[in-house]
Amino acid sequence: MESPYMEMPNDREWKKGSAELLILSLLADQPRHGYDICKLIEARSDGALRFHVTSLYPLLYRLEKHGWIQGRWVEKSGQRRRRYYRLTPQGHKALAQQRQSWQEFVGAVGRITGIEYA
Amino acid sequence: MPERHDWNNEIRRRLAGLHLAPAREAEIVDEWTQHLEESYEELRAEGATDDEARRAVLVTLSIPELAGDRRDFAPPGAAGSGNIGADLLQDLRYAARNLRKSPAFAVFVILTLALGIGANTTVFTVINTVLLNPLPIKGASQLVAVDTLATGTALRSGQLLPVSYLNLEDLRDKNQVFTNLAGYTPLMPLTLTTAAGSERIFAELVTANYFETLGLRPVMGRFFVPEEDRTPGAHAVIVIGYGAWQQRLGGAADVIGCTMRINGLVFTIAGVAPEGFKGVNAIFGPDIWVPAMMAEQLLPAQLRNALRERGEVFFHGAARLKPGVSMRLAEANLKTIAAGLEKEYPDANRGHTIALRSLAEAAQGDTRQSALFGGIVLMAIVGLVLLIACSNVANLLLARAAGRRQEIAVRLALGAGRGRLIRQLLTESSLLGVLSGAVGLILADAGCRLLWSARPVEVAQNFVDLKMDAHVFVFALVVSLITGLLFGLVPALQSSRAEVVEALKEETRTAGRSRRRITFANALLVGQVALSLVSLITAALFFRSIQRAYMIDPGFQTDRLAIFMMNPGQAGYGRARTEQFYRDVRTQVSAMPGIASVSWSSNLPLWARLSRGILIEGQTPQRQSDTVTAVVDTIDLSYFETTGIALTRGRDFTDMDRDGSLPAAIVNETMAAKYWPNQDPLGKRFRFSGDKFLRQIVGVVKTANYQSLNEAPQPAVYLPLRQNFSDSMILHVRTERDPAGVLTAVQREVRAIDSHLDVTDVRTGRKIIDQALFSARIGVGLLGVFGLLALGLASVGLYGILAYSVNQRRHEIGVRMSLGADQSRVLWMVLRQGMMLVVTGIIVGLVVSFLIDRALSKLLYGVSATDPVSLAGASLTLLTVAALACYLPARGASRVDPLVALREG
Repeated sequence: MESPYMEMPNDREWKKGSAELLILSLLADQPRHGYDICKLIEARSDGALRFHVTSLYPLLYRLEKHGWIQGRWVEKSGQRRRRYYRLTPQGHKALAQQRQSWQEFVGAVGRITGIEYA
Repeated sequence: MPERHDWNNEIRRRLAGLHLAPAREAEIVDEWTQHLEESYEELRAEGATDDEARRAVLVTLSIPELAGDRRDFAPPGAAGSGNIGADLLQDLRYAARNLRKSPAFAVFVILTLALGIGANTTVFTVINTVLLNPLPIKGASQLVAVDTLATGTALRSGQLLPVSYLNLEDLRDKNQVFTNLAGYTPLMPLTLTTAAGSERIFAELVTANYFETLGLRPVMGRFFVPEEDRTPGAHAVIVIGYGAWQQRLGGAADVIGCTMRINGLVFTIAGVAPEGFKGVNAIFGPDIWVPAMMAEQLLPAQLRNALRERGEVFFHGAARLKPGVSMRLAEANLKTIAAGLEKEYPDANRGHTIALRSLAEAAQGDTRQSALFGGIVLMAIVGLVLLIACSNVANLLLARAAGRRQEIAVRLALGAGRGRLIRQLLTESSLLGVLSGAVGLILADAGCRLLWSARPVEVAQNFVDLKMDAHVFVFALVVSLITGLLFGLVPALQSSRAEVVEALKEETRTAGRSRRRITFANALLVGQVALSLVSLITAALFFRSIQRAYMIDPGFQTDRLAIFMMNPGQAGYGRARTEQFYRDVRTQVSAMPGIASVSWSSNLPLWARLSRGILIEGQTPQRQSDTVTAVVDTIDLSYFETTGIALTRGRDFTDMDRDGSLPAAIVNETMAAKYWPNQDPLGKRFRFSGDKFLRQIVGVVKTANYQSLNEAPQPAVYLPLRQNFSDSMILHVRTERDPAGVLTAVQREVRAIDSHLDVTDVRTGRKIIDQALFSARIGVGLLGVFGLLALGLASVGLYGILAYSVNQRRHEIGVRMSLGADQSRVLWMVLRQGMMLVVTGIIVGLVVSFLIDRALSKLLYGVSATDPVSLAGASLTLLTVAALACYLPARGASRVDPLVALREG
C-alpha cells in the first residue's frame, strides 16, 4: 500500500544543493532538535520539502563535523532527552556566505530562464 | 504499541554497513529513536492506526538516500572513525575500563598467565641462546667447522675427530674454497698466578687468523697478527675474554699491555674479545686465547708435539666459505686434499678424510642431540604449564561471563552484532594476554638470572650469557597473543550466545551458569589435572633418572676421592726435581691420617683430552685403516688402587717400570677386546704414531669413563710415569672418610714440601660427578619447578571451580539439609563431585604420559618411561593436593546454614 507520507521522489536533487542552507537558516535564531528541524522544513515549505531520518541526520552530522553546528544532549524534566543543535560562530559565517551565493545562483538562473525571483 | 527496540533494531540494521564504533552507534540510535518515536506518536495523534503509523515511520527509515557516506556518522572531532583501527582503540579503552573495575580479577589472571608465559620465555631464552643462536657472530652461516672423519675400519669410524696442526696448515694452504681457515684447541685448564694465589683458568690455543676468520673485532687492543703464528714460543701474548676482563680484572680500561702470569710464564694482554663471545662454544668458553705457537710452553709434556706431529689430532678447524661456495662444494675440495695427505702421510692419516658441518652445530659439540631433545621436552612441559594457566583463566572468565550476562545481553539487545561482541571480548583477553606477557618477561628475566646463578661461581664468566634478544621478545609477544586467544575464545563464544530475553529478565544469579558451561568447565578441569599429571610424571622420571645417574658407575670410585692439580713444569722445575717432588708428595701425603692411598695421573677424571694414534704390531695397517686412537693416561704407582679401577689381568706398574727397562703399558678391556679378540693381550706390543719404539702390554684393567658419564666404552692406554715423564700431574687421593675433610690438609702438606708450587683445581669425586651432571641437574631442577607450578595452578583451578559451584548450589544444599541430609553427606557429595574429575583427569594423564614419555626414554639414565615409582608418586601427589583443593569447598558446603541458604534463594 502506498503510504500517504511517502516523499516526492524528485526533490532529492533539490535538497542536495540547498539542504545545508535550509538547516543553517533554521538554526540561525535558536537551537533545535532534529525532529523540530524536520517539522519546520515541512511546515514552512507547505509540505513541498520533506526530510527524514536517513537524510536529515547524516547532513546534521556532516555540518557538525564541519564545525558549523554543535549538538548537545538536553534533558528537561517531563520531556524526553533530546539532542539540540545550535549554530557555531563558524556556522554563522558559513550561513552568510551560503545565503549570498544562493542568491547569486538563483539570480543567475532567473536571468537566464526569465523567471522573476520574488 | 510497538516496543521501542523495534526502532532500535531497524536503525541498527540501517547502520550495520557503516561499522561504527559502538558508542557512536549507540548515540545515533538513541537520537533516531527519539525522532521515530515522535513521528509515530504524531501520526497516532492524527488518527493513524498503530499499524499504519508504524509502517509509515519505518518506511521513512528505508529511504536509502544520503545514508551512504559513513564518514558523516563519525562523532565530531574523532580522527578517522568507524574503521577497524578506531574500533580496536575503542575496544581497548573499554577493556581497560573493565579491568580497572575488577582489579583482583585482573591481578589474578595476569599473575597466572605471567607464570606460564614467564616459564615459556625462560626456556625459550635458554634454547635461543644455546641451540638457535649459539654463535653471536655476524654472517655465521658462512662459517663451517672442519673435522677429521674416521672412515672404513678405523677405530672411531664415522666419528668426527679434531685435525692435526700440520694437516690444518696444509688444508689452509691448499684449499680453494675458504677465505680463511683457522684452528683452535679444546679448552685447556691453565694456572693463573696472582698476588692472591693461583686459580684455574681456561684457555684455547688458536691460530693467529682465528678472530679474523670469525669476523670479530676487539673491544680493546688487537687480536693476533700473522707474525705470532710463525715462531714457536716467541710471542707470549693473549687475548682476554670479555667476561674474564670484567670478572678478573674489574674491566680496567688500561689492561692492554698488562701482564698475566699463566703456567709460570708472563703473557702480555694484546686485546679484549667482544662481549658475549665465548669461542666456538654454545655453553662454556675460555677465559683467554693464546697463539697456537705457545703450545709447547703451555701444554702438558705429552701434548707438546701437537704442532709437529701429524698424527696428533688436537685442533678444531673453523673456516669462512668464499662467497658463492656451498658447503658441499667446499667439502669435495677438502676431501680431495685429504686424500692427497693420506697418500703422502699414510701413517698419520690412514682412513682419515675431512668432513664439514656448520660452525654453529660444532659449537654445540657432542651435547647437541641431547640438548636439542632436552630443549624440546622442556618446551613441551612449559607449554603444558601455560595450557593449564590458560584453562584456569578460561574457567574464571566463564564464571565472570555469568556475572556479565546482563551487560552482554543489553549490548546484544541494543543491536551489537555477535561478531562485534566476540571481538570486544577477545580484545579484552588479548589485552590481558599482553599485560601478562609483559609481567611474564620480567619473570623470565628473573628466571634466567636464577637459573644462571646455579652456575659454579668460579667459572661463571665462562658460561655463555643468556640473552633476551629480539627473538625472545617476539616469542613472548606471540605467546601472549596466542594465550589471549586461547583462554578468551571459548568464553567469548559462549557468553556472546546469551539468550537476550532470558538474561534480561533474569533476576537471580543462581541460574547464571548453564549446564553447558559447567560441562565445559569440567572438561577443562579434567584436562588440567591430566596435563599437570603429565608434567609431574615427566619431572619425576627425570628426577629418578638423575638419581640413577649419580649411581652410574663411572668406572672409578668417587666417594672417597679427592684430586689436586699441580704443574711443576710451569714453575720451571727440571725433570729430576719434578720427579723428586712427585715422590715426596706421594710419600708424605700417604702418611697423613685418614688417607688410604695416593697416586699421580696426567688426566683429570672425566676430562681426558689426549687421544693418540696407535699402530699395533703384527696388524699391518694396509687394510683400510687400522689406525687406532686411544685415551692416554700417564700414571704413577698404585693409581688403580687409589681410583678403584680393577686390574683384571697381568700386573700393575712397579718401581721397575722405569727409563731403560722394557716400555710397558696397561690397556683397558675395551682396547683388549677390540684388537686382540680371543687372544691374550698380555705381551702384545704396539707403538704410538710418532714414536719409534714399541710398548708391551703388561696388564688389563676394567674400562672406565674418561670424558663424560654417558660416553660409549672407549679404548684407553695407561703408561708408567717413570717411563713417560709429565711435568703436569693431578694428585689423586683416596681417603678413609669424607674427602672434603682432607682438602685443606693435603694442600698444606704439599706447600710444606714445596712452597713455590701452587695447587690448582681441587675437587672431590662427588664434585666431579656434580659438574659432569651440571646441565642434567639444571634440566631436572627446571622440570621439577615446572611440575610443581603445573600442580599448583591445577589445584587453584580445581579449588576455584568447586568453590564456585558450591556457592551456586547453596540453595540446593540448603534444601537437602533441611530435608535431613547431614553434614557428612553434603561433604561427601561435593568431595565426590570434585574427585570424580580428578580421577578422570589422572586416568587421562596416565594414558597421555604413557604415550609421550616413551619418546623420552632416550634421555633417561637407567629408568624406564613407565617407571612405576614415578607414575605412582606423581599420581599420589596430585591426588593428595587435589583432595585438599576439593575438601576446602566441600567443608564450606557442609557448613551451609539451611535457613540462611533458603532465605537467600
